[in-house]
Amino acid sequence: MALDIQFKRTPATVTAQLAGSLDTATAPELQRQLTPILDSQVTDLAFDLEKLTFISSAGLRVFSIARKRLKERGGQTSFVNMQPQIKEVFEIVKALPGVSIFASTAEMDAYLAAQQRKHTGGTPPDPNGPIFTIDA
Amino acid sequence: MDNACFILELQSTPEEVMRAVERLQQFCREQGVAEKAIHALMLSLEEMASNVVNHAYQRDPSQCFRVSVQNRGDRIVVELRDRGPAFDPLQVPDPALEEEDEDRAEGGWGIQLVRHSMDDLHYVREDGENVLRMSKHSKPQTPSPGL
Repeated sequence: MALDIQFKRTPATVTAQLAGSLDTATAPELQRQLTPILDSQVTDLAFDLEKLTFISSAGLRVFSIARKRLKERGGQTSFVNMQPQIKEVFEIVKALPGVSIFASTAEMDAYLAAQQRKHTGGTPPDPNGPIFTIDA
Repeated sequence: MDNACFILELQSTPEEVMRAVERLQQFCREQGVAEKAIHALMLSLEEMASNVVNHAYQRDPSQCFRVSVQNRGDRIVVELRDRGPAFDPLQVPDPALEEEDEDRAEGGWGIQLVRHSMDDLHYVREDGENVLRMSKHSKPQTPSPGL
């Protein structure tokens, strides 16, 4: 039960696309790959779970760490495209207060675009500049 | 087939936990168990076996634990045995909704998921072993052909 992790950057958000199983064996690798992002100045982090078929409390703990780190700097963590069995785990445990949950990527993009328009100050992130690196 | 079963002796590592979870999935599919029940069983085994690895054995890979799974016709029974210090995981309370100590709340997520997913849970300390039995009702279905 492997886990595949892909990162995608848009001007507004870093998105981690997860495929497979986020469990006691694979959660440490996700934590390792998230660390440079959590240590950076990224304020919008999204998890695209369309291809995630299994999650246990080990995975929820990684998400919880991400949520808290982003919250410390006024950032936001979002989850999108959850399969029903994944959504059920989130609902049973209620482990992640304050996160946004979107039914589709389109819904999330529209929300984030509206949030961006609200900000009147600050420099938008350079879409061509790396703000974190991940060791292979 | 009534009373089909398998037993695994596992080393105390996260990878071995997932080996047991995958074997459970395969067994349940062969027995014709519904996918929703299979997922509930897989999640519960992952949570409780992880507890054995992380807490009972402090991630010592030289330690072993046993997973036994049986189809009793109307339910699947999963038994977990370890020789760690006496510990009843069913005594861990579900995290309170407004738990202020977040670390303590996180510690209860696993058992909360298991309580929600399983129909019966039973713990006993027996011959120096922690024995946890979990069962999930499953309607008898025609088993699918083996892969």
